[in-house]
Amino acid sequence: MSDKPMKFKVKGSIRDLLRFKNLVKKRAKIIDAAPASFKEEPYINTLAARLHPELQHLVVREVIEETGTCKTFRLVPDGAGSRELAFFQAGQYLSVKLDVNGYRITRPYSISSSPSDALKGFYDLTIKRLEGGFATGFIWNTWKTGSAVTASGPLGQMYHAPLRDGRSIVALAGGSGVTPFRSMAREICYGRLDATLRLIYGCADDQEILFHDEFRELAKKYPDRFSFVMVMSCEETSVEGCEKGFITRSVIQKHSNPAVDSYFTCGPDVMYDFTGLELAALGVPVKRIRREAYGEIKKPLRFKDFPQSAVGRAFSINVRLKQGSVVVSASGDESVLVALERAKLAPPSACRSGECQYCRTLLVKGDVWVGPECDGRRAADRQTGYIHPCASFPVSDLEIVLPENGEVRKN
Amino acid sequence: MGERWDREFDAVVVGAGNGGMAGATQLALSGKKVLMLEQHNILGGFSTSFVRGRFEFEASLHELCDVGTREDPGGAGVLFRDLGVDVEWAYVPEAYRLIVPEKNIDVVMPFGIAEYIDAFERYVPGSRPVVTKFIALAKEIGEALAYLAAMKGNPDKKVLLKKYPNFIKTATYSVDEVCHALKMPQAVKDILYAYWCYVGIPMSRQNFTLFAVMLYKYLLRGAAIPRYRSTGMAEAFERRFRALGGTVQLNTRVDKIIVENGRVVGVRTAGGELIKTRHVLCCAAPPKVFNGMIHPATEVPARALKSVNARSIASSGFVVWLGLDASPDELGIRDYSYFIYRDTDTERLYRDFSSLGRPSVQATVCLNRAVPDCSPAGTTILSMTILYKPEAWKNVEPQDYYRLKNEIAGYLVEDFEKATGCSIRDHIEEIDISAPPTYARYTGAWQGVIYGYEVDSWDSFLPRLMAMKDEQYIGGLRFSSGWGIRTIGYSSALQCGQTEALLTLVDMNNEGVTA
Ligand SMILES: Cc1cc2nc3c(=O)[nH]c(=O)nc-3n(C[C@H](O)[C@H](O)[C@H](O)COP(=O)(O)OP(=O)(O)OC[C@H]3O[C@@H](n4cnc5c(N)ncnc54)[C@H](O)[C@@H]3O)c2cc1C
Ligand code: FES
Repeated sequence: MSDKPMKFKVKGSIRDLLRFKNLVKKRAKIIDAAPASFKEEPYINTLAARLHPELQHLVVREVIEETGTCKTFRLVPDGAGSRELAFFQAGQYLSVKLDVNGYRITRPYSISSSPSDALKGFYDLTIKRLEGGFATGFIWNTWKTGSAVTASGPLGQMYHAPLRDGRSIVALAGGSGVTPFRSMAREICYGRLDATLRLIYGCADDQEILFHDEFRELAKKYPDRFSFVMVMSCEETSVEGCEKGFITRSVIQKHSNPAVDSYFTCGPDVMYDFTGLELAALGVPVKRIRREAYGEIKKPLRFKDFPQSAVGRAFSINVRLKQGSVVVSASGDESVLVALERAKLAPPSACRSGECQYCRTLLVKGDVWVGPECDGRRAADRQTGYIHPCASFPVSDLEIVLPENGEVRKN
Repeated sequence: MGERWDREFDAVVVGAGNGGMAGATQLALSGKKVLMLEQHNILGGFSTSFVRGRFEFEASLHELCDVGTREDPGGAGVLFRDLGVDVEWAYVPEAYRLIVPEKNIDVVMPFGIAEYIDAFERYVPGSRPVVTKFIALAKEIGEALAYLAAMKGNPDKKVLLKKYPNFIKTATYSVDEVCHALKMPQAVKDILYAYWCYVGIPMSRQNFTLFAVMLYKYLLRGAAIPRYRSTGMAEAFERRFRALGGTVQLNTRVDKIIVENGRVVGVRTAGGELIKTRHVLCCAAPPKVFNGMIHPATEVPARALKSVNARSIASSGFVVWLGLDASPDELGIRDYSYFIYRDTDTERLYRDFSSLGRPSVQATVCLNRAVPDCSPAGTTILSMTILYKPEAWKNVEPQDYYRLKNEIAGYLVEDFEKATGCSIRDHIEEIDISAPPTYARYTGAWQGVIYGYEVDSWDSFLPRLMAMKDEQYIGGLRFSSGWGIRTIGYSSALQCGQTEALLTLVDMNNEGVTA
């Protein structure tokens, strides 16, 4: 190629140059000819807001006593802040926003009703009351028919993905971890989710079994779509045809086909640890194991790599605010998120499991320990020093930048 | 709105997308007190990534044009160098693999001008002269644009005419029009046009200047991606901006840009905070800004609305991310960038962006082919992208949305398998799917659009640049994104941000003089 420009024309040299000369004029003409009207609401943004509302404003329409320790709260839109419920995928959860005497916290709860139920106008949350539980005690005392409840849009990744998961799902549930699987069972039986569900449900007490009647009914009515087996870990049980003990590899092998089935797990952290090993021993590849978000790590001490030096110690966190800063105290066995909540700083959060990134916070100084199953940080975030406070425990004094809570309205 | 300002800054950057981050960094580097506000809880806009299981997926970037090397940087490389933003780059191995099953086309095109022309000759014997001519034109345009940039937009007209006559002569034409004048055979167009979907409008309308310079820069310098996804780039900006004393505030949506007598005086956040400033660099789309963000609405000039309404809004995206539990070698995925088209008629392919059937286009990337350790050993990251005009999704109801996404994703996987002969379906360990509402959700993008305005010849880079002064409708308000003067694309948005920041500095200087 020579340095001299080649001889070329598109439609004629003069014409090409003239067109160039008139380019801006032509542009101005096109613009001037357009209407000076405002555009209507963009429908894709409207669809996005219907699918993923930042907040849903709900009221309790009914409280259903399930077991001695579990209640189902049926939630409907309040008609003012929310007119409809966001549709979701069976297995997803809501992050409930609570103001417990000035402490602004969140808790995730799986939606135990089905997506079709949401179209009919309600979500069910089935919540187990924990002894000494900070949130559940409050919910028990204050959520009555007519109470206002604020929640996120549907969140979470534990749903059936037809391209990935086979048609044959096996759910391993422990205790109140069965809630997302009732949602799936209904959706499958209603014919809105093309798969089959085999539920292996571990419980510690006959009185604690959730949705037992409904499961029996669905299994009877839709034997090709849904079946279940109870696994009772208590000494005495009157559940007919149940397995005894825990969800071990032999139970799994007996009630499913580890060579082809897709396993979905939901339950307390100890159960994840246990069933994870059992599935691995059965040779189930990672690809066919899904696990609900881990939940908050309650006893970080049980992890071998938790630094002993931090055990039982108190730390201080210097929290940079938009203007100025505050110092809050923290302890080595509570997450940084809880420390911030205890200080009434209302940090954002949703999954409380290191997965959703809502609580993402810049760590300026100090070290944290991060739970092994809960490190959902991106590579660049690690480099920059971002942490997920819900899954991070202080092992030294810290300095952080408090993230804005998008929900906090000044007025 | 009274005079009760909570805080004051020399400039406020609304939205931390590519243009916003580059602009904010430029302003901070020039010693200005800058606040960058972002509604999401992460910076970057489309420049981001997300974790699913063992995988971290790149949200949007296929390849960044014009980075070059440290020793020989291209335009984007110079921008990073000058702003002091240190990004670790990985390089894309080949220009593209184009597969058009219906026409029996399956070619791998290399980077490098001579290599590209040679490969062309191998695939289409006799194509050398016309491809060489096309690239000579493209080169002239690339150099003319470099000259324009060096002259800061005030070129010597005589020099332009003498040295870059074809730049001027082709500026008002579409790619088709220019290729027609070159008498380019269809078999050559079939392969040469492959990058068309990066601009996303048919070649009968796609402005030649833009397409030619893009192809030329890709061939000249290859393409790069940040080693740690585009998050690696976004956070390099963030670190630099903070180090320069800039203030970043995430989770903060700007509701209103407050205007008095035709000029910006401040912004209001959704949280109700009032921030005083006379300069706003705006990543939010002009349609969004002029249809509700300007306060009071009476400050929106009629011509600003005409300007918005005269133009056509480009496409949104649809992406399927796959984390596969086998290595690229095991799967037989040899290349980084695949264009798989049902046809080479870009009119027809474009028409299909407006309906929801089986897609006829996919631009698929195997990240491991540029960043081998982007996922654990024995795994692969594959992402498949198509474009949609917003209207395709207009009547979708929430209860059909997830089913629809899965159905389209299924077509894409099937078409990829058919076109390449690789089986991937049985290896899917993680999958996620985005659709137009996903973009609207995370970035607030107007209609979920990722490509700004369509780049017809009357609305391409050059006319936007030349009309810039007439089209600044509100004093102190400048648009720094793919909707701006440089048009779409990562490097365009970055450069647009920097340019608008430099112009803001000029504005500030002028004010200083008159004050
Ligand atoms: C994805 C997901 C889905 C779930 N779905 C369900 C479900 O369907 N049903 C269900 O029952 N559960 C579900 N859970 C568990 C549920 O989210 C809660 O973990 C559970 O309800 C515990 O609530 P609690 O606060 O009462 O108990 P705890 O978590 O035991 O309460 C004590 C906690 O509160 C903290 N705390 C104490 N005082 C304060 C204070 N002043 N300020 C701030 N924090 C303080 C403590 O440090 C401690 O962490 C789910 C969890 C996850 C992750
Ligand atoms: S709340 Fe989800 S990552 Fe911390």
